[in-house]
Amino acid sequence: MGGLALDLVSAHGVEENSETWEKVVRKLRARQMPPVGSPRPDDATYEAVVSSLEVSLDRAAEAQTNPGRTDTFRRLTRTEYQNAIRDLLALELDLSSVLPRDESSQGFDNITVTGLSPALLESYVSAADKISRLAVGRPVSSLAVDTIKMKPDLTQEFPFDGLPAGTRGGTLFPHTFPLDGEYEVVVRLARDRDEQVAGLRQVHQVEIILDRERVALFDVVPPKHVGDHSAVDDHLKARIPVKAGPHQVGVTFLKKPWGVLETDRKPYHAHFNAYRHPRVQPALHEVTITGPYDAKGPGDTPSRQRIFECQPAGATQQAAEEEDACVRRILTTLMRRAYRRPVTERDFESPLEFYRRGLSDDGFEAGVEMALSSILVSPEFLFRVERDPAGTPPNTAYEISDLELASRLSFFLWSSIPDDELLNDAIQGSLRKPEVLEQHVKRMLKDRRSRTLLTNFASQWLHLRNLESVNPDMRLFPSFDDNLRQAMRRETELLLESTIREDRSVLDLLSSDYTYLNERLAKHYGIPHVYGSWFRRVKLDGDTPRGGLLRHGSILTVTSYNTRTSPVIRGHWVLENLMGVPPPPAPADVPALEDKTIDGSLAVRERLIQHRSNPACSGCHSLMDPLGFSLENYDAVGRWRQAEAEQPIDASGNFPGGARFKGVSGLEKALIDRPDMFVGTLVEKLLTYSLGRVVEHYDAPAVRKIVRDGRPERFRFASLIVGITKSKPFQMRRSL
Amino acid sequence: MIITRKALPRRTFLRGIGATVALPLLDAMVPAMTALASTAARPVRRLGYIFIPMGSDINRWTPPGEDSLAELSPILKPLERVKDYVTAVTNMELELAYPGTHATSNSAYLSCAKAKLTESTDYYLGTTVDQIAAKEIGQATQLPSLELGMDLLEIVGQCDDGFACVYQNNLSWSSPTTPLPYEAHPRKVFERLFGEGGSAAERTKTLQKKASMLDRVKSDISRLQRGLGSSDRTKVDQYLDSVREVERRIQIAETGVAENPVPDFERPVGVPAAYADHAKLMFDLQVLALQADITRVITFQLARETSTRSYNEIGISEPHHPLTHHGNDPEKIAKMAKINEYHVSLFAYLLEKLKATPDGDGSLLDHSMYMYGSGMGNPNAHDHTNLPILVAGGGGGKLKGGRHVRYAEPTPLANLHLTLLEKAGVRMDSFADSQGKVEELLSI
Repeated sequence: MGGLALDLVSAHGVEENSETWEKVVRKLRARQMPPVGSPRPDDATYEAVVSSLEVSLDRAAEAQTNPGRTDTFRRLTRTEYQNAIRDLLALELDLSSVLPRDESSQGFDNITVTGLSPALLESYVSAADKISRLAVGRPVSSLAVDTIKMKPDLTQEFPFDGLPAGTRGGTLFPHTFPLDGEYEVVVRLARDRDEQVAGLRQVHQVEIILDRERVALFDVVPPKHVGDHSAVDDHLKARIPVKAGPHQVGVTFLKKPWGVLETDRKPYHAHFNAYRHPRVQPALHEVTITGPYDAKGPGDTPSRQRIFECQPAGATQQAAEEEDACVRRILTTLMRRAYRRPVTERDFESPLEFYRRGLSDDGFEAGVEMALSSILVSPEFLFRVERDPAGTPPNTAYEISDLELASRLSFFLWSSIPDDELLNDAIQGSLRKPEVLEQHVKRMLKDRRSRTLLTNFASQWLHLRNLESVNPDMRLFPSFDDNLRQAMRRETELLLESTIREDRSVLDLLSSDYTYLNERLAKHYGIPHVYGSWFRRVKLDGDTPRGGLLRHGSILTVTSYNTRTSPVIRGHWVLENLMGVPPPPAPADVPALEDKTIDGSLAVRERLIQHRSNPACSGCHSLMDPLGFSLENYDAVGRWRQAEAEQPIDASGNFPGGARFKGVSGLEKALIDRPDMFVGTLVEKLLTYSLGRVVEHYDAPAVRKIVRDGRPERFRFASLIVGITKSKPFQMRRSL
Repeated sequence: MIITRKALPRRTFLRGIGATVALPLLDAMVPAMTALASTAARPVRRLGYIFIPMGSDINRWTPPGEDSLAELSPILKPLERVKDYVTAVTNMELELAYPGTHATSNSAYLSCAKAKLTESTDYYLGTTVDQIAAKEIGQATQLPSLELGMDLLEIVGQCDDGFACVYQNNLSWSSPTTPLPYEAHPRKVFERLFGEGGSAAERTKTLQKKASMLDRVKSDISRLQRGLGSSDRTKVDQYLDSVREVERRIQIAETGVAENPVPDFERPVGVPAAYADHAKLMFDLQVLALQADITRVITFQLARETSTRSYNEIGISEPHHPLTHHGNDPEKIAKMAKINEYHVSLFAYLLEKLKATPDGDGSLLDHSMYMYGSGMGNPNAHDHTNLPILVAGGGGGKLKGGRHVRYAEPTPLANLHLTLLEKAGVRMDSFADSQGKVEELLSI
């Protein structure tokens, strides 16, 4: 199968043919060999064969270490860049409209990052210019305009988490104001296709909030002349004085005293579509912030505090000398962090040249801004460079430097640059000591920055990222809106976060007896007694179809089409992300399918059975489909169902030729019964992400060792992370 | 008439035209007595390539006529008003895209090359036809080429197994190892074309600052090269090429600051929520870019392979990708064909707009060539034969429409690429797996 011809490989040649034998081990572990229909050994025999093969493979790897080779140049991904700016300059920005998105490979966007196209370089130069200006806060003559648009399918009838009690709808968002000064905030309300403000039947009140303080309150009045809504929100603008730096801006509606919505006909939680489930009350469409007017100066922002460690005194005799010392101090700190290494004399040349140019034009701070922009376009900032040490013989495994190790750690656990503690230990050469390394890993996992393991790693591993582009069919799933989409994402993030923070076994991800819910999601799941927009931990009893990842609305939705479930996609997802045996690409003879295609009007299960009778398809579909079927009790937005189209759901599934099970709990149990497979897959995903390269057959012994070492601690999350950071692929590299 | 050599830059007049009306080429804009060759009066030729994913229902696509487009097929109906500018080319093939995948449908469309099966950074394809053109006819403009797309969100797990996503998402490759990312955010496109705003003095200052930043990048990158193996040195050389290219762009932008004001086109703020609105805005930006002669080569991915977008606005709630695996269910095929037609209607929007935009002695459409089509034929079978392909525009007098070129045998798409290149003034003997040219199109 999959082009694997075993008769060509001698069973004695395990050492010479490790690539082939690693494939065999993987297929045997997932019971995908021999093909369905052939006689199969019993489980004990399977295990015996697998472990004897593994012992030989591991022994061979021990004798000849191959830690693999990461690319010499890897540019930061957009996420990493954004986090690096946050940690370097205390500046939290959304750069999604400044830098291009990254392409993914093997499920992660930090692998194919060796290219630097002209368009990308242009973006880096523009970004450096914008960011350095914002960080230093130098006055400019032009106004900045930022518009924040609401998602069109955001329901705004209910309170929004984070906004004050007694309000409903609207939004709360962080915004960095470049200078002290006045800013105009303009509010536009959502309109339907007839250009009417949806839900405006009586007077409503809109307020603008700056850092929890109300700064403006408006009445919105239905127009006298019915139908003409063009001017009803023209007056929703306020000029407000704001101090430079990060603030929370909110725009929301005051809740009407009566609690019940006038929605007798449509008992949905979603209200955003004019024809199917209209807005009952007006909603926010967009907020535009323009400014600064009447700028008063750069203010005292976290960025300026971070950058200006010193300020030269006034124009005295020693001023020039003092200025010089001060700018060197500033640049030393910035470059050390940005380049992730000690600063050398050479490093100052170019930034100082930029500094002098800015200085002579517009003074000290302009000089620092210029110098900063030159640091931000340095390849030493933009790229992670790992070089073979001079004199290393070709094709030889060597230990990467302590500084390279520090960067690997911080980009793995934080998707960002190392902090001073990590750099200090790397510079002192103590980072490689196992107890120091372990202490750093545990410290870093506790740090807030490790949330990127959820927002960056897990969102890619589990395909949570795709939720944003999921739009279930409005007629079939009228209760779906952005509020639900975000709640689904949050549930999964919170479960993962509790696993990390409480250092639980990763197996609990599959069998959790608790989850996190707010009212919206609880209603969706049919779980009573959960009220309010905030999330809380909810203990579940045994027969609730909720808890583990496979029961999460998020995952069940991203593995469905917008009109129906897809056992194929779900099965594929399980094989790839939980079992580590993604089905091979479609076979070469797919064109032959055309003549043998099947009647599209049959029910999904029937159709897929026919599908599998075609030998070109059955190889993979007999692996994917039965896994997906076991999740058929969940509809395309993750709701529990007993029947579809008046037919009872048949949720029986099986591993190929092996264990038969029923429903989600059956699948979960089958996965947990073979923890090495699930944990090994997770470790492989983490290793791929941590190295930013494709994990190859020669990495398999390292993966097995991490899993083995994690077993005594029942695969606690931290034990796996520590295992990865101590592994050969993570600590070493192969020379070219 | 007073003969004056002072030509008025045409872009001065772009102010105020908005998105729909363009100013005719006034006599005053043609520098008196200068060679027409170097002025807008002998309009430049532009090349555009539009990609649609997952083939089409070829039965409803193929025009009935043997050699004429007098009668349009159901899918091509939206082209009625511009059909005199359109030629359908039937039975084109991408042989090197086999075995059939979504990744290679996208990657072979403009390269006609075989994609190396890899998910690592050693991906390898071929230089795409738009980039060959850009190297020849794009060097005088600020942007040698413009790569556009429609998908802004980051998606995982939707690329063909075994192929890095660069194959499935990037139409344009400037070398076999250099995919060019596309831009889908209208504001970013606008800013790449017309800068980030501000007064002329501010813009000049920003551009100067950027130029010196690039100097710095260049010297730092050169320094990186020391002590590297040859493959890593090649990588560094590619980085340096990018630096030089951006330097060139900034120089052109700098000289243009004074005479090229930003057009009076509402600076796009966000991304329109509706697909068609977004697509039309991207087409508007293409027209602006061509009209202002900021670029002469454009590629545009109107949707990506395996897209599961559902087109509720035309009454199709089923997502596109599963519909294309229709299993010969007539109902599903009909729905898929509706989507095919919808995409064509957006292309028609572009063509009509180009036609309505005066340029030199004709319209922008007269002086452009656009190819429209897919790298997949029958999506139900993932094949790459009998591709839906259109050619449109006047090509500066080199191309005549209203025709149907119908091959009896599958013919390399590379033949058509080679033909259009020649018409754009790029002479090559062969391209990828080409076996000749499309003779019917050669003689106007």
